[in-house]
Amino acid sequence: MQPENLLHQIHLPTQKCTVGCPLLDRCLGGGIPCNSITELVAENGTGKTQFCLQLVLYAQLPPSRGGLSASSLYIHTEYPFPFRRLRQLSRAFPLLPTPDHPVADPCDRVFVQGVYTADELVDALPKIELFLIHSKSRFPLRVIVIDSIAALFRSDFDNTGLDLRRRSSLFFKIAGGLKSLAKRFGLAVVVTNQVVDLIEGGNGNGVRVGNLGVLYSSGRRVAPALGLAWANCVNSRLFLSRHDDGADVDGSCSKSRRRISVVFAPHLPHSSSEFVITTEGVFGR
Amino acid sequence: MEVGMLPISASKRGKLLAAGYTSLRSISRASASQLATDIEVSEDEACEILKYASQTSALDRSIGNSNTSNLYGGQTAWTMLNEEKFNTRITTSCVDLDNILGGGITCKEVTELGGVPGIGKTQIGIQLAVNVQIPLEYGGLGGKAIYIDTEGSFMVERVLQIAEACIEDMPEYSHHFHNNVQDCEVKMHPNSILENIFYFRVCSYTEQIALVNYLDKFIEEHKDVKIIIIDSVTFHFRQDFDDMALRTRLLNEMALKLMKLARKFCLAVVLLNQVTTKYIEGSYQLTLALGDSWSHSCTNRIILFWNGDERHAYIDKSPSLKSASAAYSVTTRGIRNSNSSCKRIKMV
Repeated sequence: MQPENLLHQIHLPTQKCTVGCPLLDRCLGGGIPCNSITELVAENGTGKTQFCLQLVLYAQLPPSRGGLSASSLYIHTEYPFPFRRLRQLSRAFPLLPTPDHPVADPCDRVFVQGVYTADELVDALPKIELFLIHSKSRFPLRVIVIDSIAALFRSDFDNTGLDLRRRSSLFFKIAGGLKSLAKRFGLAVVVTNQVVDLIEGGNGNGVRVGNLGVLYSSGRRVAPALGLAWANCVNSRLFLSRHDDGADVDGSCSKSRRRISVVFAPHLPHSSSEFVITTEGVFGR
Repeated sequence: MEVGMLPISASKRGKLLAAGYTSLRSISRASASQLATDIEVSEDEACEILKYASQTSALDRSIGNSNTSNLYGGQTAWTMLNEEKFNTRITTSCVDLDNILGGGITCKEVTELGGVPGIGKTQIGIQLAVNVQIPLEYGGLGGKAIYIDTEGSFMVERVLQIAEACIEDMPEYSHHFHNNVQDCEVKMHPNSILENIFYFRVCSYTEQIALVNYLDKFIEEHKDVKIIIIDSVTFHFRQDFDDMALRTRLLNEMALKLMKLARKFCLAVVLLNQVTTKYIEGSYQLTLALGDSWSHSCTNRIILFWNGDERHAYIDKSPSLKSASAAYSVTTRGIRNSNSSCKRIKMV
C-alpha cells in the first residue's frame, strides 16, 4: 500500500462534469464532482429528473467544454423512463461531430437500465463493474445516475427495528459499492432522493443535517427521505425546492420559482441559485 | 528524549536538538556562551536553559535513585506528569475549541470526533492534517499527516484552500506563542503541505484493517508523521456485518493498534465517526455509531452538534479535560472561531 501523491492531483484537480449551465456550474464549484456520490433531494416535479437527463447529455462534451467525453448509465426505478424528454433535450444539445461518426446521436451514449428493488440494484453493481472493465469505447462510462434511490426503499421495508437495520445495512452496501466503483473508474455518481413531510412535534426526521436548518418546498416543511443513515452515505447533498406563486389559481400558467441549494458538500460553501426549466433544459438565473 | 523535559519553547528545543544537544548531561557540560553561540540565543537565555537543565537532571537523579527496583518500562506517575507537560498539541485553528481542549488535539492519544453529516467532520480532519505541519518556529509540530479516507470526501481543492489560508495566518500563530521569529522566516508552499499529507483511500473494511496493520511499518519509515486521521472509521463497518460480535472484535483490535501507534510514535490519532439514532427509554436519541463497546475504545470523545445556526463541539469523554462546549464555524479559510456575538463557553 502506498499513499497517493496529492501533488499529482493539483495539476489534475477533482474532475467535474458540467450540468449544462454556467450559472449552475458556478454554484456547484464547476459541476458534479467525480469520485464521489452527489445526492439531489427534491419533492416531485421540482426538476430532479430534468437535471439528471441534462447531465447525461452534457457529460459527452469534451473536457475543454466542461464535460467528461463520457457516456452514462441511467438507472431508473420509477416508470416510465422519460425517453421523449431526453429526445427533446438532445435536440437542444450541441451535436458533436466526431471523425468516425459525423453526426453522432447523443442519445446513443446514454445507457438505460430499469431496477425495481434494492436487491436488484445490489446485483447490478458487479455487472456494472464488468462492463466498466471491458468497455473499450472512446466514450467510456463515467456517469451513473440512479433516479430515484428512495423509490427502492419506500415499499419493501416495515417500520420495525429488524427491517430498519436491514435497510440501513443495504444503504451502506450500495453506497460502498458505488463509491468503490467511483474511485476505481473516476465516475461521477448522482442519486436522487425524495422528501417526506415533517409533521410538527413528530420525532425521528427532525435532526438537523447540513447548512439549511429547515428545508421548505411548496410552503411545506420537508426532510429528505431515508433518514440519517442514508445521509451518512452520500458525499454531497443538493436540495432543489420550489415555491409556487399563488397568484394563478387556475393552474393554467402557474409560475414556480425553483432554487438549488448546497445542503452539505466537502468542497463547497453554502450557496444557492435560482433556476428555471424550459423546453431546452435546466438553466440558472 | 531528555531535552523534551526542559520547560522551554519548542523552537529552542528544536535548536538544541539540531545543534546536537540531545541529553541533559551534554547541555550541562557546555558553558553559557558556548551554548548561546551554538543555538543562536542570547547568553541570558542560554543561562536559563542551563539552569533548567541542572534542575531537571537533579530531579531525574532523585527519581532514578528511588526507583531502581522498577520493572523495565515502568514509569512513575511523577515522570509521566512531567512528560505530559511537554505533550504537544495540534491546534484546530479555532481558539475557542483549542481552549476547551487545552490547546488542541493531544498527541499520544486517540480522539474521536462525531457528528451529523455536514457538521464539518471532514473539514476538521483536513484542517488538522494541514495544521500539524505548522513549523516548530511558529509553535507547531512541523510534522506530517496520514489521512485515511474511507468515504471519498477528501477534496484536494479544499485542502489547497485551507493550506493557503493557513500559510497566510502563520505569523499570527507565532504571535500566540510569543516567539521571536523575525529572523527565521519559514517559507512554506501550499504544494509542500499537500506533499506532506500521506493520503490513502480505502474501499472496504478489510483494506482498512490491513492499512492500520501496515501503518506501524510505514511510520517507522516516515518518523515525522505526527497525526493519523481516519475519515470515517465507521463507513465500512456499517455494511455487511451479520455477525456483530465479529465487528466488535475487529473494531476493538483496530482501536488498540491505533492506541499503540499513538504511544509509540508520539502522534495524535483522530477518528471521525458518524451518528445514528438509538432507542432509549421510549424515544429515539442521537448517539455516535458503532455501539456501546466502541465508546470505550477512544481516549477522548468529542461530539459535534448544531445549536441553532451555530456549530458546537462538546467534550463528551476525556480523562483530563472537563466537559465543556465551544462554538466553531466552518469558513472558506477553514475552521475558525464562531463569528456570532455570543462567544461564551458554556459549562455543562
